[in-house]
Amino acid sequence: MEKYDAVVIGGGSAGLAALKHLSSRGKQAILLEAGEKVGSKNISGGILYSKKPKKGRTYNVEDIYENFLEDAPFERKITKYILHATSKDKVFSIDLTAAHNYEANFGCSVLMNKLNQWFVQQADEVAQKHGGGVVSGVHVSSIRWEGERTIVQTDELEEIEVKAIIAADGVNSEIAYMTGARQKFSPNQLYQGVKVIVKLPEDIMDQRFSIGQDEGAAHLFAGDVTLNHIGGGFLYTNRDTLSVGAVYHLDSLLENPSEPHDLVNALLRNPMISEFVKDEVPVRGEIDKNLPKEEQMRVRFAVTKMIKTWTEMRESYYSRSSRERLVKEGTYGSQAEMEAQLSSLRDQMSTKFGIKFETDYVEAEYSAKLVPDGKRCRMEKPYFKNILFVGDAAGGGVFVGPRIEGLNVGIDDAARAAEVVARAIDKNNFSESYLGQSYSQSVEESPYTHDLKSIDKDYLKIFLDAAKDVPKDIISSKYGMVVKMMSSKTLRSFAVGFANILGYEKLLPIIETLDTYVKVPTEIAERFGSSVTATYTPTIPSIAQRVARLKFNDDSKSHIKVLKPTSEFMKKMITLCPTRCYFMEKEGVMIQHEGCVECGTCSEETDWKHPVGEKGISYQYG
Amino acid sequence: MVDPLNVAVIVKLEPDFSEGNVSYNPDGTLNRAETKNILGPHSAIAVTAAFYAKVKHGAKISIGTMGPPTAESMLQHAQLMSDADELYLYSDRAFAGADTLATAEVLKSGILKMQGKMDIVFSGHRASDGETGQTGPQTAWKLGMTFFGHVIDYEVNTESRTIRVKRLVRLQGIYDVIEEIEAPLPVFIAIDPSYKPKFNTVSQRLAYEKYQKEASQRSQNSKQYLKVFNATQIEGDPKLIGITGSPTIVYKVERIPKGKATRQAEVIDGQDREQIRKIVARMNQSLSTMVIK
Ligand SMILES: Cc1cc2nc3c(=O)[nH]c(=O)nc-3n(C[C@H](O)[C@H](O)[C@H](O)COP(=O)(O)OP(=O)(O)OC[C@H]3O[C@@H](n4cnc5c(N)ncnc54)[C@H](O)[C@@H]3O)c2cc1C
Ligand code: SF4
Repeated sequence: MEKYDAVVIGGGSAGLAALKHLSSRGKQAILLEAGEKVGSKNISGGILYSKKPKKGRTYNVEDIYENFLEDAPFERKITKYILHATSKDKVFSIDLTAAHNYEANFGCSVLMNKLNQWFVQQADEVAQKHGGGVVSGVHVSSIRWEGERTIVQTDELEEIEVKAIIAADGVNSEIAYMTGARQKFSPNQLYQGVKVIVKLPEDIMDQRFSIGQDEGAAHLFAGDVTLNHIGGGFLYTNRDTLSVGAVYHLDSLLENPSEPHDLVNALLRNPMISEFVKDEVPVRGEIDKNLPKEEQMRVRFAVTKMIKTWTEMRESYYSRSSRERLVKEGTYGSQAEMEAQLSSLRDQMSTKFGIKFETDYVEAEYSAKLVPDGKRCRMEKPYFKNILFVGDAAGGGVFVGPRIEGLNVGIDDAARAAEVVARAIDKNNFSESYLGQSYSQSVEESPYTHDLKSIDKDYLKIFLDAAKDVPKDIISSKYGMVVKMMSSKTLRSFAVGFANILGYEKLLPIIETLDTYVKVPTEIAERFGSSVTATYTPTIPSIAQRVARLKFNDDSKSHIKVLKPTSEFMKKMITLCPTRCYFMEKEGVMIQHEGCVECGTCSEETDWKHPVGEKGISYQYG
Repeated sequence: MVDPLNVAVIVKLEPDFSEGNVSYNPDGTLNRAETKNILGPHSAIAVTAAFYAKVKHGAKISIGTMGPPTAESMLQHAQLMSDADELYLYSDRAFAGADTLATAEVLKSGILKMQGKMDIVFSGHRASDGETGQTGPQTAWKLGMTFFGHVIDYEVNTESRTIRVKRLVRLQGIYDVIEEIEAPLPVFIAIDPSYKPKFNTVSQRLAYEKYQKEASQRSQNSKQYLKVFNATQIEGDPKLIGITGSPTIVYKVERIPKGKATRQAEVIDGQDREQIRKIVARMNQSLSTMVIK
């Protein structure tokens, strides 16, 4: 049996950071990732933060990857952060950039597929130097202990023996519930995130969001776009795409089921967002049916090719870096030449081939995933024997107000776990009392853990101050604490102290309510918002079209087994599965696993496993 | 420390039949000028088999081909697939018009020009462009090596310098048997089209990744690994090379008349969900490999 010092299970941002940090300490570590390639199964919103807390330290992405800021393919540094309250066509906006900048070195938008592929290059290189490395397409199926030995079993490879394990296998961690380290997270501890990627050429984005080349914008949404759920919507600018997503409490969705894609659609239909995502889109004309068959084929192919050429050329034209590169490489004589060619191609397309140019938006990818709410589900003991849990698997993401922070928290966990494992290797002590407890202690010291336990009054103050322009008369007695806190200065400073005495546990039911996320914002927008008009109606793809665009490596066997086909929970899955994998039959609810995106929503009452190595969903953006 | 394995592969440049743009001369022979050439599919499998030896035992790989100067890019492709350490191109007008026997003479001489003594030589099962599967065995015979055809799997014991091969033996198309044979190295292996390498330990998978990475770097500078030999340099017997060394002459190639298409229809009960799911799964399978342009 092959032996390795440490194994990291799962190659998301947390697992990769663990591997990199451990290898940088000269230790031998391997990483096993189920996806066909690292990055293919990871999705985020997402803004990746680097923090500088007033007390204590966090391990930031640039501490793990020293060249992150220079070399990493992140999208844009977010420089604008705005919250919008919505009601139909009315929007009331509050600038929260100060809250975004609070204790932050930076926060940048990221796409996980691209970014994790960069992370893995960095990590793998160091790991190989110490006899380790990364193996993808391998799904860990069980772990067992035989005396002193820890044996890891996979669906694909021969067993291996290891001394320590870092479990970074995400929110639906099989390792966690297989070993009994924790129960499955329950719906009241989870959010469901659904997201679409929208294409938008770079320069057009800069202009539309009034941002420079190296800047980015984040827009958050609450109010009627939530379709009456606790949570909200977001729109982040990437380099030449937008991430538009919805994150709602699973509890709230179970209580009042809405189809997840409808939640994204509600965002896309909001006039402000419609206007944000709009672009010029070529639409094929009808091909003359009287033409000979072969001629029809020829025209069809020509049209496809032209649209592709035009789209690519336009993307490059509207990106300063590509434009300059193409001129430098001599593909075009000058930028003016490029512009002329682009417009002549466009003319030709419309005059010769009847292609119309319409205002619409271009959706590239639909994705979904659960997100653990650290306030409610952080593992008190993030270890079991010689296994340390990091990232979403440990459930420590920070969700406070508009803050959605799982990526940075996972990296912090990972660095702490790696340091503990490195020390254990030096001391050759892998006992739970040494390994587990040292790690647990280190996590307790993390400022993120602190954030999950108590409210930072300076942060809250920024927040409340930003909202102080909300007209006073909104304080209507029918709403709870939040509104009162927002609007009265004395209450504001008093509120924080009071809140901390109450503690999050008691406070959450007061803050995280429909009032906060839906009713108050809707009323604010209705009464004080300004009207936004959409100049077109977006053509939103159906769920079938969205699923058809995704890439799956089909597995003939289902990785999910329905255990309670007639339970109320399972019946709700027919609505709540983001890709409509469930349907009703005579005997009860059945699954058609082929379109499963492995979000985990149905995990609670199913026998839920990730597919075997390489199988299942493979995201292009993430 | 045991000696590293030394492995050779002989490959062939072939027309790309997959493109659907193969063109034939009026006389039924291939119009080579108009058909794009690539690494033949059977050769590609032989290259994969050699890569297995690299991943498993760190074997040194040399790849040789007889062909026109344009075959260089094919060797580059083969290097990308196998992380080959050396590439050999045997190219000369004098080689033209060679049949299998004359080709085998060039390949034999070529292999002898490769660095070091070979432990295993791999060839494809056959070529796709009108070859008869003779070149491999004939080269083996000329080299005086033990020959195994239809090999679907092999394992080398680097200490005892022996090899265990599994051969797929078709008995009159009635049933297939798998024959397992052990032999001392060196051997010549013609690899079966159904060969698929399996990497089932972590260390093999790590080595696989490492060599793949190295391969993509190497193949970017493939010229650096390439040696070209002409008829004189290869030092074969001139009487046995090219058209003079070819006892067989192809007079005419006839297309086989197309038979009636025999579609295999399956009747499915539309009421039965299981059956419908089978269709959907099958459709998914075909669609997932189809590129719609
Ligand atoms: C819509 C949405 C928006 C979000 N927005 C933000 C944001 O703006 N900022 C932020 O910081 N965070 C955000 N998050 C949270 C953040 O994305 C996650 O916290 C983070 O991606 C988790 O990383 P991870 O490495 O812990 O887990 P994952 O990325 O889930 O990685 C787990 C990996 O383990 C692999 N795996 C699982 N089981 C096995 C097994 N048995 N064997 C082998 N491999 C296995 C999986 O294939 C996967 O690659 C958002 C999340 C969502 C869904
Ligand atoms: S089947 Fe379950 S895990 Fe898969 S997409 Fe649907 S809800 Fe998510």
